[in-house]
Amino acid sequence: MTTAETHNGRRLTARGAKTRAKIVAAAADLMYVQGVGATTLDEVLAASGASKSQLYHHFDGKEALVRAVVDHVGQRVMDREREALENVSTIRGLRRWRDSLVQNNALRHGAYGCALGALATEVSDHDDLARKALSHLFGEWQSLLADVLRRLQGRGVLPAEASIDQLATGLMAALQGGYMLAQTERDVTPMATSIDMALTHIESLATS
Amino acid sequence: MRTHFAEVLALEEASLADVTHVAGLARWRRRVVRELMDPRSPYVLALRQTGELRERADFLARWRSLIAEMVDRLLHSKATEQTASAAACPPARSRHADDAAQETAVLILAALHGGSTLSQVVRDPWPLNAALDLALARLAPPGGGAVDDERNE
Repeated sequence: MTTAETHNGRRLTARGAKTRAKIVAAAADLMYVQGVGATTLDEVLAASGASKSQLYHHFDGKEALVRAVVDHVGQRVMDREREALENVSTIRGLRRWRDSLVQNNALRHGAYGCALGALATEVSDHDDLARKALSHLFGEWQSLLADVLRRLQGRGVLPAEASIDQLATGLMAALQGGYMLAQTERDVTPMATSIDMALTHIESLATS
Repeated sequence: MRTHFAEVLALEEASLADVTHVAGLARWRRRVVRELMDPRSPYVLALRQTGELRERADFLARWRSLIAEMVDRLLHSKATEQTASAAACPPARSRHADDAAQETAVLILAALHGGSTLSQVVRDPWPLNAALDLALARLAPPGGGAVDDERNE
């Protein structure tokens, strides 16, 4: 279903699209702060100012709303990451990317973690459609990291034999795991450490 | 402490204590990957971001400390082997070595956490293994491959 259609396939008016976007944005904010499981449709209605009939006009239940939240959050994260990574071709550039993520997370003492990672831990074991959407989004994010590493390889900074996809996945796991440790400790230090250690390993390949 | 936290810590205490060389590390790694790919495993329950925060933080701090002790042992034995082969005195333990063990333990725990999330999303252990390859790289023997298979047994 595209954002221009309701769940029963009818095209949306501009006003309908605005209402739908308002509901999804409110749901995304609530689910980010208190989790998918703890967020009720009544809370989404209260936060968005939409009526029950408007909500059910756009979504046939919570599962459909969660899938729309995955798309919404995914698009936001991917826009941010594309902008941050698409021109990076140095280790120093990767460290600036790390600094920005850690600094942004520090504003909240790491309390809420990565919006996409948090959705992954909550929905991937019981909603296969949402899991597939998340799989696609993480694949896209890892490709952005792999492209940076390939540019480093192309410039001769990383050796030709370095396994780029494996390193990009390892770096993404260090980032996601770092977010989760920071969330539990309410402190970004372990997130900073895990990404630093992963980047140091990548850098060690560059200098060896 | 919740049952799954206590269960994981008991298993980890026993299996990490056995890791004194690279072959032991490979065994530990295979077992943890198997646990994290099993949705009914206490490891999966323990790494969920749910439940009481302080209890979860205590659990992760304890697990990290067990991993750091293992890393410290392996880094120390690696340093001793290298020094012995250079026919010099055994290396003195330094603050730098302690920090290195703590930082590597953070990366290993992050790799288990983040890698298992990515693996659950794609229903494939490959991302978790890629994460552990990176996290355990400094513990692998010089010139050796990833600590993941029968080569190190």
